[in-house]
Amino acid sequence: MSLEKNFNTFYEKELQGLLIPLEAERKKIKKYGAAGFVLLGTAVILFIISAASHNKVSVVIAFVLLLAAFVLLIIFGNKKKSFAAGFKESVVRKIIRFIDPSLQYSPGLKISKADYLNSGLFVEQPDRYSGDDYIEGTHEKTFFCFSELHTERKVSSGKSTHWETIFRGLFFIADFNKNFSGRTYVWSERNPQINFLTKLFSSFAWNLEKVKLESVEFEKRFIVYSSDQVEARYILTPSFMERIVRLQQMMGEGTSLSFVNTNIHVAVPIRDELFEPAIFSANDHNRLGDFYNSINIVFDMIDELKLNQRLWNKE
Amino acid sequence: MTPLIIIIVLVIILIPVLLYNNLIRKKNAVENSFFSIDVMLKKRYDLIPQLVEAVKGYMIHERDLLSSLTALRQKAMENNLPTNEKVRLDNQVNNILQQIVVNFENYPQLKASENFLRLQGAINEAEEQLAASRRFYNAAVNDYHNAIETFPSSLVASLAGMSKKEYFTIRESEKGVPALNI
Repeated sequence: MSLEKNFNTFYEKELQGLLIPLEAERKKIKKYGAAGFVLLGTAVILFIISAASHNKVSVVIAFVLLLAAFVLLIIFGNKKKSFAAGFKESVVRKIIRFIDPSLQYSPGLKISKADYLNSGLFVEQPDRYSGDDYIEGTHEKTFFCFSELHTERKVSSGKSTHWETIFRGLFFIADFNKNFSGRTYVWSERNPQINFLTKLFSSFAWNLEKVKLESVEFEKRFIVYSSDQVEARYILTPSFMERIVRLQQMMGEGTSLSFVNTNIHVAVPIRDELFEPAIFSANDHNRLGDFYNSINIVFDMIDELKLNQRLWNKE
Repeated sequence: MTPLIIIIVLVIILIPVLLYNNLIRKKNAVENSFFSIDVMLKKRYDLIPQLVEAVKGYMIHERDLLSSLTALRQKAMENNLPTNEKVRLDNQVNNILQQIVVNFENYPQLKASENFLRLQGAINEAEEQLAASRRFYNAAVNDYHNAIETFPSSLVASLAGMSKKEYFTIRESEKGVPALNI
């Protein structure tokens, strides 16, 4: 409640003024987009009509309209891109600084591909790897970083190829509060990667064993593999399992975790891009409030998992 | 006709063999997991003399507790102790450690000692690892029990004279954060 109140005051004081010129610019860009889509729609309708009536003149007009729509949509795309970049630099950066001035925000960067692959949360090599909005910082004693990621595989069927998403969402890495040397994976039962083949490979190729844990609720939601049965239980204490269940309830059913190289990795599938400004609707209090909550949820995650409760041998 | 009979006979022989091998694997898993508890227990017992050394100057009223802790440790470190005896000694050590920990509160000087705090951290860590090993052991025992109690492997188990194993009791305090909170 107090967080919300804080944000309201901050919004009125710092953001409202900043948003006035940005909103005017957004409305201009919106016009390009709207005009482009209307022209495109008209061109398509005209094509259908002229195909039915064999009218050559209307085909030519449809072509001209299509060309115009094409030009307008390219302009719209470029303007949208630079608007988003400017918006992130001014508004998103300000929100992040308000949450914690020590946070480093790099809109163009992302979690590295090596870190993504090291996490072991996604077993296949992506053919396309993209992402943005990288944030790193230290919450009390815990170093953490996260960014949006979108990883895809190329699927070829006959002559056509298309892209399928492997993971899209928030990818979070933090220093874990206990020392460990093995690898432990807490995959969501909903993770489409967990199939017969993965299970087979886990035991043979990756030298992992399935870990059966006591918590029924936890076992229903996750499937755990580890290179060390004792270490897996050292990490996943009964109370930590309860916290992971709560975390999944908070972040969504696809949330998976891994514990590799003394780090904890959390992958939270999210369909929408977190920090992209809207073009066809206002970037108002509600929308910016969503940005604010998205960043705060990472702090909630650290608190929920009690990553700040250090053992004595790990400072 | 003859090949079919051979196949049937082979299958009849093979099934009990496979079931038996599976049971042995599970039994060995229980023994292996007990070995990991043993390693962790030793790690904790190694810390006890240091703990006693660090606190004996302060904890004058707990001298009896400290000397019985040392005695128990010595007994526990003996080789070739049967499993049940190890578990019994571990439980006694746990009890005494708990009592000593409760009394730490009465000695603020202890809490100011860097050395003591580091030691307490090491014991916390050993306790956490021990708790994890006990849970692994219990999981292996559970798996083994399921195998010897369910049909058809229960038939092979009773013929081979395989019996149930004891579970470790997990203390409430082990379910959460380290047992020795500061």
